[in-house]
Amino acid sequence: MIHTVRLSLGYGDKVIVRDVNISVRPGEFVSVIGPNAAGKTTLLKTLASLLKPIAGVVYIDGLAVANLRPRELASLIGVVLTDQVKLTMLTVAEVVALGRYPYTGLLGSLSQEDRREVLRALSDVGLEELADRRFCELSDGQRQKVMIARALAQEPRALILDEPVTHLDPKARVEVLMMIKRVCRERRIVVVASLHEVDLALRMADRLIIVSDGGVIAYDSPEEFIMDGGPTALFGLGECILFSPELATVEFRWPQDRDERIFVVAGGGSGSLVYRMLNRLGYSFSTGVLHKGDVDYIVAKSLGGVVIEEEAFQPISPRKMVQALEEARSCAAVIYTSPPIGPLNSENRKLAEAAAVEGRPLIVLGPRGIRGAWRVVDSFPELEQSLQLLREKAVAPTIPRGGSGRSINP
Amino acid sequence: METGARLKQSSSVVGSTRSRLLILYSLPIPTLLLASLLIGGYSINLQDAVSAIVGGGRPEAALIVHSIRLPRALAALFGGACLGVSGAILQALFRNPLADSYILGVSAGSSLFLALSMLLGVTLGAWSPTNPYALYLASFSGALLVTALMTSLSGVVRSTTTILIAGLMISYIAYSLTSILQTLVEIEKLRAFTYWIMGSFAGARWSILTPGLPAIAISLSSTLLLAKPLNALLLGEDYARSMGMNLKRTRMMIVAAASLPVAIVTALAGAVGFIGLCAPYLARQLSRTSNHFTIIPASALLGSTLTLAADLLSRLALRPIEIPITGVTALFGAPLVIYLLLRGRGVQL
Repeated sequence: MIHTVRLSLGYGDKVIVRDVNISVRPGEFVSVIGPNAAGKTTLLKTLASLLKPIAGVVYIDGLAVANLRPRELASLIGVVLTDQVKLTMLTVAEVVALGRYPYTGLLGSLSQEDRREVLRALSDVGLEELADRRFCELSDGQRQKVMIARALAQEPRALILDEPVTHLDPKARVEVLMMIKRVCRERRIVVVASLHEVDLALRMADRLIIVSDGGVIAYDSPEEFIMDGGPTALFGLGECILFSPELATVEFRWPQDRDERIFVVAGGGSGSLVYRMLNRLGYSFSTGVLHKGDVDYIVAKSLGGVVIEEEAFQPISPRKMVQALEEARSCAAVIYTSPPIGPLNSENRKLAEAAAVEGRPLIVLGPRGIRGAWRVVDSFPELEQSLQLLREKAVAPTIPRGGSGRSINP
Repeated sequence: METGARLKQSSSVVGSTRSRLLILYSLPIPTLLLASLLIGGYSINLQDAVSAIVGGGRPEAALIVHSIRLPRALAALFGGACLGVSGAILQALFRNPLADSYILGVSAGSSLFLALSMLLGVTLGAWSPTNPYALYLASFSGALLVTALMTSLSGVVRSTTTILIAGLMISYIAYSLTSILQTLVEIEKLRAFTYWIMGSFAGARWSILTPGLPAIAISLSSTLLLAKPLNALLLGEDYARSMGMNLKRTRMMIVAAASLPVAIVTALAGAVGFIGLCAPYLARQLSRTSNHFTIIPASALLGSTLTLAADLLSRLALRPIEIPITGVTALFGAPLVIYLLLRGRGVQL
């Protein structure tokens, strides 16, 4: 267990983060997040005793780290850093065996127990097979696993990791973090890891430590942090970059520089990618009628679309239907995403049919044909082409606003 | 259990590979030593050489072998080992394949103090300026002064790159002071000092070699004790500290352990360049490992081999005129420096 008492940290006299009072229990995976340069690395280095605190005390298993000798400290805390060591021809087993540093003598020869710990660490990270390979020949992910095995070979009570997966590819990131979480739960090790990738932290961590504005806030769960509107406040999001609590990830709205508004008839997830495409191409969109809580509802909202909404699990009411019809009439085109249709949303098909009847350009994406459709497409490139065609042929009248970019190149 | 057996097996394989490599690296040494006895301005055959060592033979040949060639060969043998070892530990300390004793400024400091002692007669004791102990003492003092300076610097600046540049600047200052001293003294004193300035084992005699032998033995054997911290330092200072290394103390020990052998070589032969750079590089490339339990003895053996070979070449190249040994070592050392600079960060340590 790690806990701190009124810890202030920084470099020299300059305090970066003050009054840190946190405690982490064995087996817990705590993620440290915060904006760049907020002091995440400084906090971790101070916890690992690589940096002297300006004030306050770090305790590990009740022992003040400042009073410990380097070897004692190394048998309590293992450290893994972002920066990768690449240029060494040591073998994997040799690097992991360095973790026995606090236990071996002057000549570093390994005892029976040392070998056993090296092996256990290697098997915990799943790299026994690579024991004799040279470190420099490994992939980034494998190297970082070796560094973790090395830290585990120290038999620490706590593992402190400073952005351990930043340089890894997406799959390796998740793999390495899951491995750390599993091993440390098994070994009952405290894990404190700063993560650059906030959505990873929100999915991975048992608890969160937020570093910002010279202080820290601890959350007992990532979910609590999300419900608090934490990510939006922490990273100063809003306007174009938004945090979607339902999806626990960051969404962004492109500047909608097209004049045409598109109406999308969707539901049940059939619209999510269409919204994203429209958003990316710079179209503003309206959509409906969507039930609250539908994934299309969530994505459309987070992308800033106009959503004609109905209460969850209620049939679409005539009032909402009229509203949707009017909204569709104000749009340059209607896209029908072939949503699953059932008793509660059968009106949505009628919405598309009405557009066709009224002679509005109706683009149908998917197999469910609608009589009178302007175009039927079955892929996103085709959908994009159709939108392009719509503009060129000016099927719907467009009123160009005085955009400076267009007048240069008529 | 199966993997356990495999790991055990693999580490014993490493052990036997290590001894095999070290035996391989020591193979050229006897031949080179013998060649050092035979080759030179006065021609000596094998029989002369053997009888000179066991006693007897032609008195002239015996005299040359015994009082000139043998101490010179041994000085190159031990001096080369010292240079190789000091290069290996400095490169690990600075995590830079370009680091060696010259960059730290240690040999420049040694040279300056040798110049002070020999040219101005400044000795710290009652010895005459040419007394071997006075020379060693001067050389040590210079090395220790720079070492102390570097150590205190390393306490203030954490970046090893900064220390590297500081070492270079200290070298410049020491060399410039040395050359100012040279312009101040008479030509006879200067000629005696030329050996130290140019770098040559030609001046190595028993009178200077024998007093240095215990120091050589101590300094070479003690460096193996640094192999463990040096291996940890390969991962960087933060990692080394996190694994229980007392960084400041270890760094001081490493700097001292690297300067002592350099001081010895400077007293024996003056400034000999590039051996400390090439020997560890070759050791790593040939052994395909970074483990200092292999690299340190391998650098010693390869340092000896390179130095003996370079010393021979310096005698042979423009026979009967001898050229300074650095004139030879620079020919293969300087291109290596350029190569390493071009490779940049891709060079393995």
